Amino acid sequence: MSRMLTRKLLPVRNILPPVTKRASHVHRQRYDVIVVGGGHAGTEAAAAAARVGAETLLVTQKTHTIGALSCNPSLGGVGKGHLVREIDALDGLCGRAGDWAGIHFSILNRRKGPAVWGPRAQLDRQRYREFIQAELLSTPRLEVLEGSVEELLVTDPNPEEPGRHRVTGIRLANGSRPISASSVVLTTGTFLSGSLFVGHTVSPGGRIGDAPSSTGLSQTLRERLGLRVGRLRTGTPPRVLKDSVDLSLAKLHPPDSHPTPFSFMNTRTRCKPEEQLPCYLTYTTPGVERVVRESLHLNCHIQQDAKGPRYCPSIESRVLRFPGRRHQVWLEPEGMTSDLLYPQGLSMTMPPDVQLRLIREIPAMHRAEIHTPGYGVQYDYVCPTQLSPALQVKNTQGLFLAGQINGTTGYEEAAAQGLWAGVNAARWARSLPPAGLSRTESYIGVLIDDLVSRGVNEPYRMFTSRAEFRTSLRPDNADLRLTQKGSLLGCVSSARRDEFLRVKLRLQDAEAALRALTLSPAGWRKMMPGISVSESKNGTLSGMDLLQYKDVSFEMLASLFPEQLSPHIEFSERLKIEAVYKPHCDLSKREVERIQKEENMSLPQDLDYFSLPVSLSKEVREILDRFRPSTLGAATRLEGMTPAAVVNLLNYVQIAERKERMMNRSNAGQQEGRGEDLCARNASLPQ
Amino acid sequence: MLPISAVCGGIYRAAIRTLGTRNVPLCRRLSSGDGVLAGLADADTIFALSSGHGRCGVAVVRISGPAATTALRCMVGLRKHLPPPRTALLRSITDPHSKEVLDRGLVLWFPAPHSFTGEDSVEFHIHGGPAVITAVLQALGSVPGMRPAEAGEFTRRAFHAGKLDLTEVEGLGDLIHAETEAQRRQALRQMSGDLGRLYQDWSHRLKRCLAHVEAFIDFSEDELIEDGVLDRVDISVCDLQAEINQHLKDERRGERLRSGVHVVIAGATNAGKSSLLNTLCQRPAAIVSPIAGTTRDVVETALDIGGFPVLLSDTAGLRDSPDLVEQEGVRRARERVQQADLTLVVVDSTILPSEVKQAGAVLLKHLESVLTSQEQPEAGRCLLVLNKTDLLPEAQREQLSLGLRGTSGLPPVCLISCQTSEGLKDFLTVLQSTVQTMCADPLSGAPTLTQARHRAHLQQCAAALAQYWRYRDSDLALAAEGVRLALTGLGRITGRVGAEEILDIIFKDFCIGK
Repeated sequence: MSRMLTRKLLPVRNILPPVTKRASHVHRQRYDVIVVGGGHAGTEAAAAAARVGAETLLVTQKTHTIGALSCNPSLGGVGKGHLVREIDALDGLCGRAGDWAGIHFSILNRRKGPAVWGPRAQLDRQRYREFIQAELLSTPRLEVLEGSVEELLVTDPNPEEPGRHRVTGIRLANGSRPISASSVVLTTGTFLSGSLFVGHTVSPGGRIGDAPSSTGLSQTLRERLGLRVGRLRTGTPPRVLKDSVDLSLAKLHPPDSHPTPFSFMNTRTRCKPEEQLPCYLTYTTPGVERVVRESLHLNCHIQQDAKGPRYCPSIESRVLRFPGRRHQVWLEPEGMTSDLLYPQGLSMTMPPDVQLRLIREIPAMHRAEIHTPGYGVQYDYVCPTQLSPALQVKNTQGLFLAGQINGTTGYEEAAAQGLWAGVNAARWARSLPPAGLSRTESYIGVLIDDLVSRGVNEPYRMFTSRAEFRTSLRPDNADLRLTQKGSLLGCVSSARRDEFLRVKLRLQDAEAALRALTLSPAGWRKMMPGISVSESKNGTLSGMDLLQYKDVSFEMLASLFPEQLSPHIEFSERLKIEAVYKPHCDLSKREVERIQKEENMSLPQDLDYFSLPVSLSKEVREILDRFRPSTLGAATRLEGMTPAAVVNLLNYVQIAERKERMMNRSNAGQQEGRGEDLCARNASLPQ
Repeated sequence: MLPISAVCGGIYRAAIRTLGTRNVPLCRRLSSGDGVLAGLADADTIFALSSGHGRCGVAVVRISGPAATTALRCMVGLRKHLPPPRTALLRSITDPHSKEVLDRGLVLWFPAPHSFTGEDSVEFHIHGGPAVITAVLQALGSVPGMRPAEAGEFTRRAFHAGKLDLTEVEGLGDLIHAETEAQRRQALRQMSGDLGRLYQDWSHRLKRCLAHVEAFIDFSEDELIEDGVLDRVDISVCDLQAEINQHLKDERRGERLRSGVHVVIAGATNAGKSSLLNTLCQRPAAIVSPIAGTTRDVVETALDIGGFPVLLSDTAGLRDSPDLVEQEGVRRARERVQQADLTLVVVDSTILPSEVKQAGAVLLKHLESVLTSQEQPEAGRCLLVLNKTDLLPEAQREQLSLGLRGTSGLPPVCLISCQTSEGLKDFLTVLQSTVQTMCADPLSGAPTLTQARHRAHLQQCAAALAQYWRYRDSDLALAAEGVRLALTGLGRITGRVGAEEILDIIFKDFCIGK
């Protein structure tokens, strides 16, 4: 098992320097895909596009900050860990980077059921960046360029397709020639009209220490393309010098004794179990609340009305919304050798001297020194209902958006969108139909569907409660759900595909072996005296049935039937989970199939709902026109749709499809694309 | 290619699930997650009363789906052999559990594909009394795999099986619209009473349970969510389970709903609404006086019009009044109009302009203000009654009666005088034929159907709560799934609950810091 691990875990042959070497100039004037931004969304997008086969250029202000963790030094968690596992199943970077850079691994929710386990790790910032940069470098077809994008180049709307622009490339700030591309993926994070807030000081920018992005980009989006934008805010805590903190006054929080890797390709992490660093937990005091209240008049950010996240609030909003109680503060390591601590939960925007006063109100930090003060960011996001499920801007062919620009928060949410936008940008460049991910098969699908069909009014974060099919979308089976699809799309390496096929076959064998073991309930009771086996309908119970019992483990069965089961002991945990969850997943299967069918019936994007010759009320026409749902499924989920309207719309779609099919039939002998079976339905109507 | 057929099941279901959310445009919201293609779930077997109601000797209960034969076997005592297809047999129909004989009636068996829906179908022709019908419907509901049909579901399945011709298919959207509307009104009535409040209360408590379990799952590790949260959920789930089970056992089922077509008299003050009520029921049920605003509450009376049961309500005259009691009366009047199967809009004909065209315009505007729903006044759901014609000159009366007939957008117009009984006979003929049409539709005014449906959903809800306990200590994700399913079941009565709503409760109740 460790054979494939070592190879993938240690790919970092030439760390860091070469990136800057390649970044000074571009090798070609035309690319398939240009990715703007080198954060979590940008790196995944660039890597995915290149994997799918597109000649890709990643443009970023500073190559040095590619893969930087701008905020918390951690990855995963409940819901977010699900996303990391899915990104990894599609051969994205962040799972493997996490295994490389992690210095404190734990599975959250260990006691609450495998469907909601949350793999999480504290990261070494330096190592994470190293891994991402090295990985991008070794990706064929991918170039990296340092520069600031001045302008997004788009065509005028095509008169034959009213209101539809097409992206043609970008122009850099240094006035050089434009670089053209079929697709452009914007992953500008908080840089779109970003402003930084510390106390009363407001300065333009998206991250402290970085130049503000040009205003040209935001202007093109708003004025040229007419996209609706909204404003959101977020913040980050001050970084504290580790030596100045009295950690004996905080509660030690050790990592798991056996780190669980994020990636399906790894069986161990780079960090040895015993080398892991602990976290510390401490609490706010009434003094903290006092300082917040006294300094409110000095705090510009908090007085603004841009929407901030409810679930990652600043310390100001926490004490104002829930006064008179203590709040948790986690002190997290920033790296193996870093002399800084990250006080999770103390995001703040007051003037630096007040920040110092505030943190010193916490006993463990009564003599703490601040290395970098906390600050707030306000930034524009593009209302994501203007995007298709492929994350393409509906009115601009070839323009894709991913990450915070779509109103999400979090590394994992950004990376997930980046990957999918990258895949689709590459497909667009190669004239392949868009690929979709359903909310029935993945958290990435839930994320994208929520964004494009419902929009956001506060920064969007993933929670497991957002996934209605939570029992089937588990961290343990992300590979079974997605790797095959990724392989068909061409975004999965052959090594991963081979490993996936091996695992899949072995799991099938193991399940077959379990099912073949059948005994009467009395027989089982005799073999396992401690278990109260109940009667069954047809008189016998299989090993798979027994595994559903709370107190029965695969190891127990394997010790009873060593010949049949011991070859499968590698998968004992996965088999146990599968046995317990299968009956529940089967129950929702019909619902899943129904939603998938609806999602596969696409509605043309340029449909003129006001003149559509079907019986729809004016009200419904307006709703459809405003949201422009991409599929019948999305239309069904819109507020205000009537059942009758959906039937009429459906009739329309079917008539259109029938016509389409008849046309296709007349062009018999046409070749079919590789991804055809995945995307056939989406492709069947003009986009 | 997706079978066209697979299409509409969810629509009906969707319409029903949204029923009963408070306030206005119930039918206009399609609850998400209830898609168009729910027809894929056709493995369910459905049943419904498919004859009209009112004074009828025979009622027809139809069953369609794979378990139809199961129903036949366990309720008709045909253990070994199924009866010959399409042949009427006289049999005792018994409750599958208590073995009590419910009725003696005709049983017909239509094996697939030779049935209306193309599926295995069974028909019971039983006696038309409400007690018998209710008993048979409830017994059917207790057969495994059976559930009450949603609006128009039989038609949809027929469509599915290609049993409808092209013109019938084209009308499907309108049919669905009409049927969901009928069910919406029915559910609105049910939900506005004590029962509705009870269901809403359960739904509210269940939402909190789910929100707290979800908070514990999504946040507790790094947050200040104490373990005590789950203990409180335990208590809540336990209580809810007990209450729902008790409710299901309760034979009286809370409140009795009056069967019949709901006809509401509405209009401006002093138009003669109460006089019309009194005239129709031939007794002074309501106080009549020349003082505007005499009627302040809803006066209800059960009538028999041409053999069909009608529940006639007189309402307060619609006007802006500073009087709080009268304001409440007006609110109730408007509520009644929304729930009505048929509204009689009464207008004082003496205040109309003498010129017919102008009169038509005035009436249209007036109708709009009375029927506040955004819908166009649906054909057959409203009659315009011009009262006090005895005070009009003969010529104007004739002009009105001829002229208004051609005005587009106006419902049927009747000119009457409650004082002299003039025109009353013609009005009664119109009213009777309208009520008759409505009664032919088994959906309007049949509370038993709604009750059977509610019962099925409540049973689902109670069963799902049992799953919470099964996994409470071993797997919280599966326990939460139980609460979630329970809320889905209840949501089919009270309106769907989305993920955002649950998150709202979480953020209101807990300080989430990460």
